[in-house]
Amino acid sequence: MKKPIYIFSDGELKRKDNTLFFDNEKGRKYIPVENTSEIMLFGEVIINKRFLEFVSHSEIILHFFNHYGYYIGTYYPREHLNSGYMILKQAEYYNDKDKRLYIAKKFIEGAYKNMRHVLKYYQNRGKNLEDIICCIEELGETINSVISINELMAIEGNIRGAYYKAFDKILGNPDFKFGIRSKRPPKNSLNVLISFGNSLMYTLILSEIYKTHLDPRIGYLHSTNFRRFSLNLDVSEIFKPIIIDRVIFSVISKNIIKKDDFDGSAEGLILKEKAKKAFIEEYENKLMTTINHRSIGSNVSYCRLIRLELYKLEKHLMGEQEYTPFVAQW
Amino acid sequence: MFAILVYDINEKRVNKVLKTCRKYLSWVQNSVLEGEISDANLRKLKIEISRIINKEEDSVIIYLLRTTTYSERQILGLDKGGTDMFI
Repeated sequence: MKKPIYIFSDGELKRKDNTLFFDNEKGRKYIPVENTSEIMLFGEVIINKRFLEFVSHSEIILHFFNHYGYYIGTYYPREHLNSGYMILKQAEYYNDKDKRLYIAKKFIEGAYKNMRHVLKYYQNRGKNLEDIICCIEELGETINSVISINELMAIEGNIRGAYYKAFDKILGNPDFKFGIRSKRPPKNSLNVLISFGNSLMYTLILSEIYKTHLDPRIGYLHSTNFRRFSLNLDVSEIFKPIIIDRVIFSVISKNIIKKDDFDGSAEGLILKEKAKKAFIEEYENKLMTTINHRSIGSNVSYCRLIRLELYKLEKHLMGEQEYTPFVAQW
Repeated sequence: MFAILVYDINEKRVNKVLKTCRKYLSWVQNSVLEGEISDANLRKLKIEISRIINKEEDSVIIYLLRTTTYSERQILGLDKGGTDMFI
């Protein structure tokens, strides 16, 4: 299983002896190229063209994050699994209003069911979430009747709004109050964690898309055309509640991340490096956790589950099998 | 699976072997590398190494563990290197 590498230190990353090499004052380290799936760059890293050539050749994606842990962009090597057929199919489904709406609805349906699932879990643990679940279910039932993407986005926004209200009840931690969702910059610690987790999710799905024939530039829920990638944003809707939100709950309830892990220097807060690492560790463990997949009948990791989701989408686009979103069952 | 590779190789070829191993595994200390490796990559690594070494003089041993669940890594003295996803 190839693993991602997270670089927090400053230094130079280059090609050496046909493998990856990281060099700075503190030390030098070789990274096994054959065992690396992607590289996440958080520190100030110097790279050169020779390195990019090598990375392209090895099919490794580079994801860049700024000082605040925000996603900046990706060095996306020339697609190695290019398929004109798939691009045409993707475009066909995007251009046809009904076909596009159908797929978009499926994404929201998956997201809604997974959110409800997370809430139900905590309700069984004795949290009073009855009202919120009812509210979400009411909204969820209207998904199928919408006739435009904008309407769908509005419902999604309302569901998410209700869902986030449950966070305070689930956590019951005065240091991590949700308040309202704030971005760019997030204004309180819980929002920081959500933003950071979501950006990790977007990049992970982008990396997975790279391993399929799909083109990440054509999304269905999030409009295409004027941004770099949007399919990864669509697919992440399904997995955010069951992966990121659960990681957030566990780092807070296990006291892995505490109030003083945040720096409130400029406007908004940022997560300290130590806390970022702790969060990523928990997140990577989650991704490696295996579950029994009912239709395949074997154990698959969450990471693999994302790839399977993309394959299902490919099948839908090719008209082989209708797409049904992944819904957690435990 | 998880592999621990140790080697004892004539000085003339040792660098080549080290460079080859670094592509697949993480360096731990002199003559020792370890890390997660797939079946296919293990095969590739073995082929690459056997092309370099002289079978009369050199020796490479690979210990394979299906999982590291029941293993423990104890270190006395310095921790010189190993597999870590953070840098």
